[in-house]
Amino acid sequence: MGLEQLLPAIAGMTWQDMVMIGVGLTLIYLAVAKNYEPTLLLPMGFGAILVNIPLSSALTQIDPATGQAVEGVLNVFFDAGIATEIFPLLIFVAIGAMIDFSPLFRNPSLLLFGAAAQLGIFLTMMFAAFLGYDLKEAASIGIIGAADGPTSIVVASRFAPALLGPISVAAYSYMALVPIIQPPVIRLLTSRKERLIRMSSGSSKKISKKALILFPIAVTIVAGIIAPSSLALIGFLMFGNLVRECGVLNKLSLSAQNELASLVTLLLGITIASTMTADRFIRLDTLLIIALGLFAFVFDTFGGVIFAKFLNLFRKEGNKLNPMIGACGISAFPMSARVIHQMGQKEDPYNYLLMPAISANVGGQIGSVVAGGIILTLVPFFA
Amino acid sequence: MTATIEKALLIAGIGMVGIFIFMALFYLLILALDRFLPFQEVKPIVEVSEESITDEEE
Repeated sequence: MGLEQLLPAIAGMTWQDMVMIGVGLTLIYLAVAKNYEPTLLLPMGFGAILVNIPLSSALTQIDPATGQAVEGVLNVFFDAGIATEIFPLLIFVAIGAMIDFSPLFRNPSLLLFGAAAQLGIFLTMMFAAFLGYDLKEAASIGIIGAADGPTSIVVASRFAPALLGPISVAAYSYMALVPIIQPPVIRLLTSRKERLIRMSSGSSKKISKKALILFPIAVTIVAGIIAPSSLALIGFLMFGNLVRECGVLNKLSLSAQNELASLVTLLLGITIASTMTADRFIRLDTLLIIALGLFAFVFDTFGGVIFAKFLNLFRKEGNKLNPMIGACGISAFPMSARVIHQMGQKEDPYNYLLMPAISANVGGQIGSVVAGGIILTLVPFFA
Repeated sequence: MTATIEKALLIAGIGMVGIFIFMALFYLLILALDRFLPFQEVKPIVEVSEESITDEEE
């Protein structure tokens, strides 16, 4: 009996499989040792190992004896949870239940940064189209700039399922790398004088409970009337928020924030890994997508900061915005707000930018979902 | 410029304008909600029992 019969997995192992197992181990290392988005990167890393061992029963295999397909559990999860968009949408319910919109009510004008900081999505989409990707693939790559994992997964699973693995890895990795990516870009675009600008926190203002309950309902109706295709994304996010704010579903709200979020994140991570097989992942495309993801994050930051500087042209001295706040218009919450607050304190220990930064960051959470909805609406018209 | 890049450019233009319109609408929505449903302090209801009245009178 030869090695092939005795240990078919070893006999069938290629260098590409070994590289992918290395990628899986690296993701686990980043999650455990560096604490980079561990809830997603750890299941994805483990899943990458699981699917790159030849003949893994976690994936659908053809039985050599009968010639029939034996379904693997990860393929079943993928078809049921990602191809149908159920997992990312359930994550939106959980995220909605975690979001507190009251900082936005205290500084509503900062909501606009949630629009400006989506610039990276569209610039990256154009750059990807320039590099030869078709429109749907380019849009799926661009959406990495939403800095919002579930939105990236929804768009990529609909438009470019073959690229879902690298897009998810890039989206979640860069979200974790916000403290490394944003500061140098901000320093490049702002002077020290600008970084020292103080802003009012508006934190003492109390918000009516009725307003907080009506907000998610009104947003859903407005978004649904203008762009019905965006309703799945925005609607599930706002549903989660309504459960949080209504005051009569506290138990469900806590379940959405904890049990639902944990369970679906676990399944989402390991299921995305089913697309991280060597034949799909070890390609020039993967490196390009990872590079384009970085490009998207850099230009998101650029868009937010430049928009703040633009607004400052029309504001009086003493009422100017700290342009660093613009960088918080991305969806990575609360990491981006924390980074900007720390940058502000580094320049002036008495400058407290946390509250306005949080307001802009919450705006970014809405902006990224709106951007995803707009992409889902527009691309089919042109593709 | 290829047709794909032209389409991507068009989507980018419409997309960015679209996001600003959405956010401007949400901004107006927040202003409206804040104006028509302002925060009102709920005063705690002090129950005046017969006992306390009697105590005070005494």
